[in-house]
Amino acid sequence: MSGSPNSASEAAPAPASPAAAVEPSAEPLNVLIVGVGGQGVIMVSKVLALLAQAQGFQVKQSEVHGMAKRGGAVFSHVRFGRQVWSPTIPKGEADILIALEWAEGLRWLPYLKPETGIFICDTKRIVPPFACLNRRPGAPLRYSRETPADVISQVGEGYAIDATQMAEELGNERAANVVLLGALSTALRFPAADWEQTVAKFVPKKTVSVNLDAFRRGRAWIEEARVVTPAVESRAAEAPAPADPAYRVRLDIVAAWCKSCDICVKICPERCLRLNAERIAELAEPEKCTGCRLCEWLCPDFAIRVHLEDISAMAADAASEGAPR
Amino acid sequence: MSIDTAAAFDVTDYLRKQMMPHFLCPGCGHGMALRALLWAIHDLEIDKDALAVVSGIGCAGRLSAYIDANTFHVTHGRPIAYATGLALARPDLHVVVITGDGDCLAIGGNHLIHACRRNLKLTCLMLNNEVYGMTGGQVSPTTSQSRLTTTTPLGNAEPHFDACALATAAGAGFVGREVTRHVPKLKELIKAGLRHEGFAFIEILSDCTEIFGRKNEMGSSPEMMMRQKSELRPSAYRDTVDTPFRANDLPTGILARNDRPEYGAAYRSAAAAARNGAR
Ligand code: SF4
Ligand code: SF4
Ligand code: SF4
Repeated sequence: MSGSPNSASEAAPAPASPAAAVEPSAEPLNVLIVGVGGQGVIMVSKVLALLAQAQGFQVKQSEVHGMAKRGGAVFSHVRFGRQVWSPTIPKGEADILIALEWAEGLRWLPYLKPETGIFICDTKRIVPPFACLNRRPGAPLRYSRETPADVISQVGEGYAIDATQMAEELGNERAANVVLLGALSTALRFPAADWEQTVAKFVPKKTVSVNLDAFRRGRAWIEEARVVTPAVESRAAEAPAPADPAYRVRLDIVAAWCKSCDICVKICPERCLRLNAERIAELAEPEKCTGCRLCEWLCPDFAIRVHLEDISAMAADAASEGAPR
Repeated sequence: MSIDTAAAFDVTDYLRKQMMPHFLCPGCGHGMALRALLWAIHDLEIDKDALAVVSGIGCAGRLSAYIDANTFHVTHGRPIAYATGLALARPDLHVVVITGDGDCLAIGGNHLIHACRRNLKLTCLMLNNEVYGMTGGQVSPTTSQSRLTTTTPLGNAEPHFDACALATAAGAGFVGREVTRHVPKLKELIKAGLRHEGFAFIEILSDCTEIFGRKNEMGSSPEMMMRQKSELRPSAYRDTVDTPFRANDLPTGILARNDRPEYGAAYRSAAAAARNGAR
């Protein structure tokens, strides 16, 4: 990778592929860490910043954490080297992009150095409410459709890692950010022991051991990835393609129990019910109904029952029985 | 999550279908309260044979007739008294009381405070619609001030009871309140009450659409129900522009919880000790 060895930092002890490690030369090294509020983006950047400082570099870190109130986009720029002036990374200048959430990773891709940048991304999907365009169950989301393989093929060196799953397996989903720290550690020439010391300093006492396990797990995953696919130096976790279950909604309305109170008609968020000529509730626009069940719950006369039928499952059943209708 | 069981829960499994449609007026909030109770029973997998519902007189009192379980429709104001005997004799049953504001606080007020004091395992649902609906709309202990009823044609001059404060002060182990509009939330509250080892008092703010609503020109059933948020719970929705139509500024949710000794167990151990002493 770029740059000549720096005397201030020792080489990491025998990484599987030392070629992948980058470090600052005359120019500072730029690491961009992105994710969603609550995931631990700032923690990752603080560990990195502190470590770089301890290794004798000048470090500048700037972050947005106003959105850290869970759910908003959060990013943190970390730049370190002999001399760092600006605290932010310009577009196309990040040496390493670490993403704790899939779509956030894609959003920040233009900041990565074309050709040489290293992209490390958790395949975890946190779908924001505004990506839900339709309240119908199983309706398509306006969320990234790219598969990890698609994205990895666009970057110099890329890893789509299911860090959340790994952390879960270790018993603490919240350690996913430390799995990614482990992944990040393979790309820099800081000794593994120093990384682990710094991580241990940052996490609550009770979770030190699970976090160190998470760190090693992330580190091992990348190193193994380099061995398995040395040609591309990239690896994508097998993430299942997002599937949209197909539902059909059916409403049973018991006319004999309906007392024409109009509650269902007025409460339906989709405005798809009405009272007919006999003033009995009926589903006027079935295609609009999302199956939210509000009408079922709020009918004081128990006259409505909502059925959600999984069409894809029904089709699969019919196919397996070999008796299509 | 609260709605996970929604698909599996069919309310008609818990209704006496031959009795339906029920007698409640169009839009009456009591129907939603009944659904919440039955849904809670379903969620907790309480067997119908292990459920006993005791109810008093009034529109709320009639609900027990529609439940496919052991039900008792008893004298005015006394469902808690009957339920106390039942729960003491049959600790294996889940005993639920359905009562109205007049039934519970006026005619049966004494039974309520002593049930709270004893802390016998019972779940008491008080459906508060601020009025005696069945008898034509007389003023009740929870009618807000200035409200019109057939007995307060110039507006109610009396202050109203805060039933939950009363139950808490009298020592009930579990006290909660919810509006009928939030059926899943109400269901969760009732579940918590059913699980409580002791006397659980739950006030359900309901709408009497035909009598109280009509008399006070509160609009159609959906209008009345949709205003529960802003007007029955002004403290939670202070930002709404409407002025509350009911003066009751009542908090909702679980309001009190204390683990006092459960009376049934204490009674049984005292009885056993007495028997052993006599021998
Ligand atoms: S389930 Fe009922 S309330 Fe919900 S969209 Fe369908 S008709 Fe409307
Ligand atoms: S809420 Fe129930 S009773 Fe009222 S109009 Fe709708 S179906 Fe009929
Ligand atoms: S009188 Fe009021 S409380 Fe009674 S059933 Fe009618 S609406 Fe409901």
